[in-house]
Amino acid sequence: MTMVSRLWCRKARQNLAFAKVLGKEPKTFSTLVQLKTDEATDNNNDSQAQTNDELIKSPSLGNYRLVYPEFLPDPNPLYRNSIREKLERMDMLNRRSVLSIPEFYVGSILAVTYSDPHAVGKINKFVGICILREGCGLRSSFLLRNVVNGEGVEVRYDLYDPAIQNIDCLRLEKRLDDELLYLRDAPLEYSTFPFDMEIEAKISESVPVNDIKIPLNPLPWSQRWERLNLKGVKEIVVNERRQKKAAALAKPWEKYDLMKTYRETIPEEEQNEIFSDVYTKLNELEIQKNILKRKYMLQRQNSSKTRTS
Amino acid sequence: MNQAKIEKLVSRLRYNVGSKPRKLKNVDGPEGRLRKIKKTLTAVIKYERIELNYARADETRGYVERLISEALRHGPEHGETMELANFWIKEKQLVHKLFKVLVPRYQNYTTSFTKLHNAPCIYPGYAYKRAILELKGNIYPTVEQSNPHQHNLLHNILLDAARKEYRMEKYKEIAANMNF
Repeated sequence: MTMVSRLWCRKARQNLAFAKVLGKEPKTFSTLVQLKTDEATDNNNDSQAQTNDELIKSPSLGNYRLVYPEFLPDPNPLYRNSIREKLERMDMLNRRSVLSIPEFYVGSILAVTYSDPHAVGKINKFVGICILREGCGLRSSFLLRNVVNGEGVEVRYDLYDPAIQNIDCLRLEKRLDDELLYLRDAPLEYSTFPFDMEIEAKISESVPVNDIKIPLNPLPWSQRWERLNLKGVKEIVVNERRQKKAAALAKPWEKYDLMKTYRETIPEEEQNEIFSDVYTKLNELEIQKNILKRKYMLQRQNSSKTRTS
Repeated sequence: MNQAKIEKLVSRLRYNVGSKPRKLKNVDGPEGRLRKIKKTLTAVIKYERIELNYARADETRGYVERLISEALRHGPEHGETMELANFWIKEKQLVHKLFKVLVPRYQNYTTSFTKLHNAPCIYPGYAYKRAILELKGNIYPTVEQSNPHQHNLLHNILLDAARKEYRMEKYKEIAANMNF
């Protein structure tokens, strides 16, 4: 895991090298304030803007369902209510216009700054890997996991909680599974991430999939992982009785159950309706977010350059 | 409140889908339920119109619609769709029928591909409601029959006459108001 992340860092640095070279130009008028130089670079250097656009690309309507899954309502018709869904969507957009919520997936590493009345300075920052995303609408939440003082710690945050002050996606990637709850029964090194991690530059348009396979601790476990058909786990060793039971409880026909898949999802036409409703606002926010991110990257490059020189 | 699953995109079905699946009594549980539906689905694609118990017909209807919509969406070159067709259709020559006959037939449909009729329980009958499930655009005469003597019913004759009289009066009025 650490090896993979190290490789990743090096790759990111290599890719950023050319951006650094371009970043030298504004240094000629170095007496200007930092922010102003950034604006100047944005206006003057078309080539730089292009390279940055390649680095950071806003999602198209086609993959909105992957980027903003919480905008889709619960498919269970018992919980459907078109007016409530619409109102919730408006509230979510309002919250997003105040707090920039980055694109992230299960397996991404996030840093959340949370206002906590009992913490020193009344602010608490938690860094961890996202192991679960659940719920929809205003109640959608995510679960972060990290190791603190040799103890696995999980914190569940509501995505639209007003007490959240900042969310940063430190490393954007996916894993092979939809839930990484098995990290609870894996060695702690696989869920350990440094609290002083910095944001890594996004290299490709498509989100990279980290196909790491994780070994599990010996029994006992918190769940019967052998029954869940996990892809991101090295071969699971259990006794014969448990193997037989898992084989008996397997449901290989479930993937053919057409109506089950239909009842668990929102049809494409309905998704298009929902996302065309929020498209303009989300796109606006996306552009703002990209500009901020670009500025942040430039600032970091410049500061690192001054440190080295 | 659960999140909708997003990895597979599906087309919307054009009939009122029930909120819960029926269990379809059998000894094997959910696997047996699919086996029963598989039989009915194959029969529907083969004969295009069948009569059966209502619950099973209604349950099968969704699967037929979904299979056809998947075939319309992805075509025969798509591996997953072919696997689905192989699983659901028990007679293999009917897989060809699905992709070569049914897909072109339903290409431009804006309504559902199947139709479900309530069928009569013929005396002495049995406890279960009966139904007729058919694929639209089949070669058989329609199930719903209109009364061929509708226009000979007394109230329809009277209504027709009244309409005619009203129209004639209107024409007269228009003719009177015309100035050349």
